[in-house]
Amino acid sequence: MPWKKSKGIMVLAMVLALLVLATACGKSDEAGKGPAGGSDGKAQTVYLNGAGASFPYPLYSKWISEYNKVAPHVNIDYQSIGSGGGIKGIIEETVDFAGSDAPMKDEQMARARGEIIHIPTVIGAVVITYNLEGVNTGLKLTPEVIGNIFLGKIKKWNDPAITAINPGVELPDKEIAVVHRSDGSGTTNIFTDYLSSTSPEWKEKVGTGTAVEWPVGIGAKGNEGVAGTVKQTPGGIGYVELAYAVQNQLPYAFIKNLAGKFVEPTLDTTTAAAAGAVASMPEDMRVSIVNAPGENAYPIAGFTYLLLYKEQMDRNKGTELAKFLWWAVHDGEAFAKDLLYAPLPENVRQRVEARIKEINYQGEPLFK
Amino acid sequence: MTGERNQRRKFMNNLMFVLALGATIMALIPLGSILLYVASKGLIALNWDFFTQLPKPVGEPGGGLANAIAGTLILVGLASLMGIPLGILTGIYLSEFSRGRLAWLVRFICDVMTGIPSIIVGIVVYGTLVLAMKRFSAIAGGVALAIIMLPLVTRTTEEMLKLVPHSLREASLALGASRWRTTYSIVLRSAMGGIITGSLLAVARIAGETAPLLFTALNSRYWHTGLDQRIASLPVYIYTYATTPYDELHRLAWGAALVLVAMVMVASLAARLAGRKAGGGR
Repeated sequence: MPWKKSKGIMVLAMVLALLVLATACGKSDEAGKGPAGGSDGKAQTVYLNGAGASFPYPLYSKWISEYNKVAPHVNIDYQSIGSGGGIKGIIEETVDFAGSDAPMKDEQMARARGEIIHIPTVIGAVVITYNLEGVNTGLKLTPEVIGNIFLGKIKKWNDPAITAINPGVELPDKEIAVVHRSDGSGTTNIFTDYLSSTSPEWKEKVGTGTAVEWPVGIGAKGNEGVAGTVKQTPGGIGYVELAYAVQNQLPYAFIKNLAGKFVEPTLDTTTAAAAGAVASMPEDMRVSIVNAPGENAYPIAGFTYLLLYKEQMDRNKGTELAKFLWWAVHDGEAFAKDLLYAPLPENVRQRVEARIKEINYQGEPLFK
Repeated sequence: MTGERNQRRKFMNNLMFVLALGATIMALIPLGSILLYVASKGLIALNWDFFTQLPKPVGEPGGGLANAIAGTLILVGLASLMGIPLGILTGIYLSEFSRGRLAWLVRFICDVMTGIPSIIVGIVVYGTLVLAMKRFSAIAGGVALAIIMLPLVTRTTEEMLKLVPHSLREASLALGASRWRTTYSIVLRSAMGGIITGSLLAVARIAGETAPLLFTALNSRYWHTGLDQRIASLPVYIYTYATTPYDELHRLAWGAALVLVAMVMVASLAARLAGRKAGGGR
């Protein structure tokens, strides 16, 4: 009897050891079968590890998979951990590149080992969604009305301020129920950036950030949380990213821009916002593009960035990273629209090209 | 008189039986509904591709989470290789060799560690291993999971060893066996079933942990390429996919959830069987 039992633990230990060994060996088989083993022969695999913003994660996954067909010896990985996690990662150098929906602040830049380059990749738009019986996409809203709704000063849907700009739309005598994000988010950053730029009162009382003290409303986690809460609350209003609203067929509002036009949030109007803002863009591209000038510019938009050190520590990695970024803002942009991301306008892309050429290893530029 | 009292006692008996039965059913409802819900959502995602393919980007058909399944097995294996032997040895120390302050302290720390939220373990390993290595790695994930396992294995081992009757130890010592001989050949073997059960339950406990992995092993879209590289795992994929706007990724997340639940159930069943065998053999 005792023999049997001591065997038990031996078997358990052996099974575990075998498991680790088997899977560890299994991978080398697979690596051989994978695309890396193909025509490219013996080129050494370069690993580039990134993490950060969750908003561009589906697009970056697509880019990485497509780029792997072009450059099979480069293994890029990007994980969605949030913009804050990405910035932390690049400062602490646990990642080779990071993703963030908000540009780094000066004090964050100061904690990094060297200068960090911001590469805008695509543009995100934030839409205002609502739950009003009989009112579909296309409710018109002005910056003043949006500001006052989120400040809690406009309380009913049939407020004269709203009905005046929506002739012919029957708005109910219902309380407005504001829904906002409860988690820190790049979406909130863009939206509060917009509110701060249009409403001095908002700027003074609440301000801009990935998470703020909301004057009114209830919190919900993630785009899905906000959308779900708005759906369940008659009279609800909230903000989600454009891709999410389109994917889930949520109604959204047309918003009055600087040029005085009510603009529907689409990929084209979002790209137009970046194109309109380019004149006032600083060299380092850390910029807000809400309320951009331009006939067709949708006013609630923002860049999402890839962050990397200007001076790379590893020549090989740095070279491949620069090549990948170049590919991303050229060939990669073609995949953006299918996945509901707004591609960079031509004039911004030219600015980005200059930044990529600044990436260097001990002073020697890595992209040629 | 007596008849009336008997009747009352019978009535109370039945009432309590019904109440207990009702409570049991109530407790089973959430468990059953979780299993049913996960199964109903997850089954459609499961096909051959799911178990053999790497993840694909949105919009491309096919694609699975084979690397995450393998990754979870590797992580759990790593954690077990570190956590189980250490835990069993600590348990033996506590039950057989210790007395006084040190034992009290170890026991106290173990109890505190069982209550520590797993995300804190993740942050601690991030602050030490990940920052030192300058990268997320499978080994960091394994260490984090092992730390979560350690107190569970230690405490069950100790409890199991304490159940072994003292007369057995005395008999062995009286026959001239040394202390370690007695512990190894008599005490440990008598308690083996319980220890295996405890270890497997600890394995089941860590298989679904997400929070500590987010800070340590992170996740990966490739096959495992080395213990010093990031590694994919089912819980982190569920977390990542569930928060994207795309239905097809949600489906994969449900499939992953179902596979994970199945893995935990197999581990728990194995634990039950090991426990029953040992119980019969004693």
